[in-house]
Amino acid sequence: MADLSFPYLTAAVVIPLAGAAVAFFRKAHTRAASVIAASGAALCCLELFREVHSAGGFRLAEPWALGLFAADTLNATFLVLYSLLTLCILVVAPRRDTNASINGSTLLVLSATLAAYGADNVLLLAAGWIISALPFVLGPFTFNETWRPRVGLALSCLALVGAIGVIAVAALSDGAPQPFSLAALQGHNYGGSAAFALLIAAIVCRKGIFPAHAWIEDAAEAGPVLPFCLFINGHLGAFILARVVIPEFPLSAQGAFPILSDLALFTALYAAVRAVAELSARRILALLVLSQSACILAGLESATPEGITGALVHCIVVAVATTGLFSVLRLMEVRFGRSFTADHYLGLARYTPRLAVFFAVCGLALVGLPGTLGFCSEDLLIHGTLVSHPQIGLLLPVATAMNAVSLFRLFSRMFLGARSTVVHGVTDAAPRERWVLAAIAFFIVAAGLTPATIVAFRANAAQDTSRALVSITK
Amino acid sequence: MTLQQWILLSVVVTPGAVFLGFSFLWLLGWEAPERFLSRITGLVYSLATTAVAWLIWCVAAGGDHPVVVSLGNWFAVHEYEFPLVLLGDHLSLPFLALTVVLVGVIGQFSATYLHRDPGFARFFILLHLFAFGSMLIFAAGSFDLIIGGWELVGITSVLLISFFHFRSGPVENALRVFIVYRACDLGLITAAFVLHHVGHVSSFANGMPPVAGGLATVVGLLLLLSAAGKSAQVPFSGWLPRAMEGPTPSSAIFYGAISVHAGAYLLLRAQPIILGSPLASSAVMFTGLMTAVLGTIVGRASSDAKTSLAYASLAQVGVIFLEIGAGLTWLPVMHILGHAMVRTLQFLRAPSTLHDFHQVHAAAGGQLQQTGKHLETIFPPPLRLWLYRLAIDRGHLDTLLERLIIQPLLRLSLVLGRFDRLGLSNRTPAVIRQIEPLAKQGVING
Repeated sequence: MADLSFPYLTAAVVIPLAGAAVAFFRKAHTRAASVIAASGAALCCLELFREVHSAGGFRLAEPWALGLFAADTLNATFLVLYSLLTLCILVVAPRRDTNASINGSTLLVLSATLAAYGADNVLLLAAGWIISALPFVLGPFTFNETWRPRVGLALSCLALVGAIGVIAVAALSDGAPQPFSLAALQGHNYGGSAAFALLIAAIVCRKGIFPAHAWIEDAAEAGPVLPFCLFINGHLGAFILARVVIPEFPLSAQGAFPILSDLALFTALYAAVRAVAELSARRILALLVLSQSACILAGLESATPEGITGALVHCIVVAVATTGLFSVLRLMEVRFGRSFTADHYLGLARYTPRLAVFFAVCGLALVGLPGTLGFCSEDLLIHGTLVSHPQIGLLLPVATAMNAVSLFRLFSRMFLGARSTVVHGVTDAAPRERWVLAAIAFFIVAAGLTPATIVAFRANAAQDTSRALVSITK
Repeated sequence: MTLQQWILLSVVVTPGAVFLGFSFLWLLGWEAPERFLSRITGLVYSLATTAVAWLIWCVAAGGDHPVVVSLGNWFAVHEYEFPLVLLGDHLSLPFLALTVVLVGVIGQFSATYLHRDPGFARFFILLHLFAFGSMLIFAAGSFDLIIGGWELVGITSVLLISFFHFRSGPVENALRVFIVYRACDLGLITAAFVLHHVGHVSSFANGMPPVAGGLATVVGLLLLLSAAGKSAQVPFSGWLPRAMEGPTPSSAIFYGAISVHAGAYLLLRAQPIILGSPLASSAVMFTGLMTAVLGTIVGRASSDAKTSLAYASLAQVGVIFLEIGAGLTWLPVMHILGHAMVRTLQFLRAPSTLHDFHQVHAAAGGQLQQTGKHLETIFPPPLRLWLYRLAIDRGHLDTLLERLIIQPLLRLSLVLGRFDRLGLSNRTPAVIRQIEPLAKQGVING
């Protein structure tokens, strides 16, 4: 395995940690310090991305990192995407949502998530998974009196720790030379069905797949919305499925994936139906994210090249589009003074026309409007799932259609209709917000017009994953 | 690429580029002046009209040899490809000509009609997006590309219905139209999938491949679902009067001319497939017949000019469906072109109906005779009353949709919502209360 020219991954993990320390202890200019730290991490990830692609998609090890980190086409895109999204959220967050504690914890989540993406070691991966959830379980991103998010996250962490424990014990008892190396564990099926089941339980809890879905809604309703958006857009559940479950447990996956895929499709439809009559704006968006995230999982488990590529592209779409949607929602909440409900019209578009358009563009991308990247990913996902599940694959386009209706309902209630009498002095997007949201909209449209570039970026990762699955299904 | 190919590509792509340019400039804070917007619109569609006329002349002079622009695959994964193929043939070119002419006319009309309206720029930006979507449908060489244009036309239609967004009525109606569009689009998406994976058809630029038997029936019925949704055919006709909430110029071009005929175009394009299945072609004819009858009955009881025109339009599109199902090709094309032109004129004159009536009345010396009562007189009074009730409730189609689909779905959603909230209370379970102090101390932030 060739090496990266510089330990970019270590730098990308350490820089946000240093930024978090500065934010916690200095307590002044926290936004500037956080933005600089996130920019540093993003630059490292971008350079790493360039090196991975100039190496032709081969796996590159990190120099001097004791085999802890490695980069390939699967994680390079996630690394760049996540660091840039964190940067966007740090810049766009309203002033009342930025203080030493919040910004420091955001950087901690960034550092832990990047460590999980880049890990070539199961212990480091588990540490990243757990640490990225800690601010949501212990603070400061807690969920008031609501208990389900903490339980959901704690269960996902416990299940992962259990799985890693079972794998480690099995590998050590088998005398494996590198019992914690992801690359060395490939295809050995250490821990068998027990480890596989625990990993799937961790993924189901983290991604909010039915019946462990309700905590996502509660978290969006009761918690800080921007950190929550960042957390769910890590898509660590889908990442572990592609990085650990499929390569390590190909035989178990063969039997379980049809059922899991059906479950994911059911979750997509369930969340879509739930959103139809929901009134809380935050819950509607959370249900849409839940539904679309389940589509990603269904695509990964479809075991078809189209479905897997679609899922990997859709990860990008969901992450970028929901960052835009939640950002606009939060900015509107701050301007409006309270949370939104979709039970009456507010007519805010006359005050905030640009924020309304940003919301519409991100929402339409999420549900696959042509001209946005969502169209390409939805097209691939639909083809992939219909090929693998002709009977129930149709649930996916049905769920997406219902999501589109819910999103348009929310958009119309917030921005259209007769002006509410309680609205006064609401201002449109400030330049800082406008430029970030314009960059998100530009990316969605530019990538949507030239989707081949993004699809090609994901091609190697999808090929590796689909090859493993296709070989076992044959 | 030859000159003809370049011109076809430019005609299709230019409205999309204009839309993107104006949209991003507006997002970044620039408001285009009214005159600039209308002049650019006039210029773009004047040039496009000339270009399409030249293309038609070239194709006619070249013995009906179509212009095909193949831009490779938009994206491809494994064996699945999304071909970017544009097709200028005897079917698509008349529709392209219709689009560029009418969008140009509507642009000029709207420059005066919407003068100083706060939504002036929004209307023109959406008009360009609509033109792009329509031309993508008509010039597409594959069903995948048709889906792209189809959805763009749908979303533009919905956004223009809610154009007067400071009232709740147009917004509510736009949502209802959006629901019907999204539901019916599933037919086209599934048909494209079936053709890809079962029929191994991805492009029809070199002619529609032969499809027959069960596959033709399935694809034909799925396409009929989409076409019926877009063209407001039975049982989806209920959305059409709701769509009249938009500004008159958009009603004219969408529901009098282009959008309402897009379904008919889809069926014409897929006619070889539909005619391969007696069931599918019978279903097309039956749908058209039912719509024509319903449109005639309901239109006669409508109390406002635009709704009356919408149902008249519907009746004609029903007849066009009937012609397509019967296997005719040129007659429906000519019918569409003529109908679109006449109906656009009628819609644009709709705000001046009373003025026009008074002029004609005065010109006739106050002796204008009432017309249009002949059909009613041949029915017995009880049947007339029943038909009147049917017409007033617009064929009970919206009521049925509400009772059979929307209400059960909402009830299910509420039940699931209650299920999700089971066990959720403001009281925190004991186990969580024990770790609460840790959270309050802020273990993370010290």
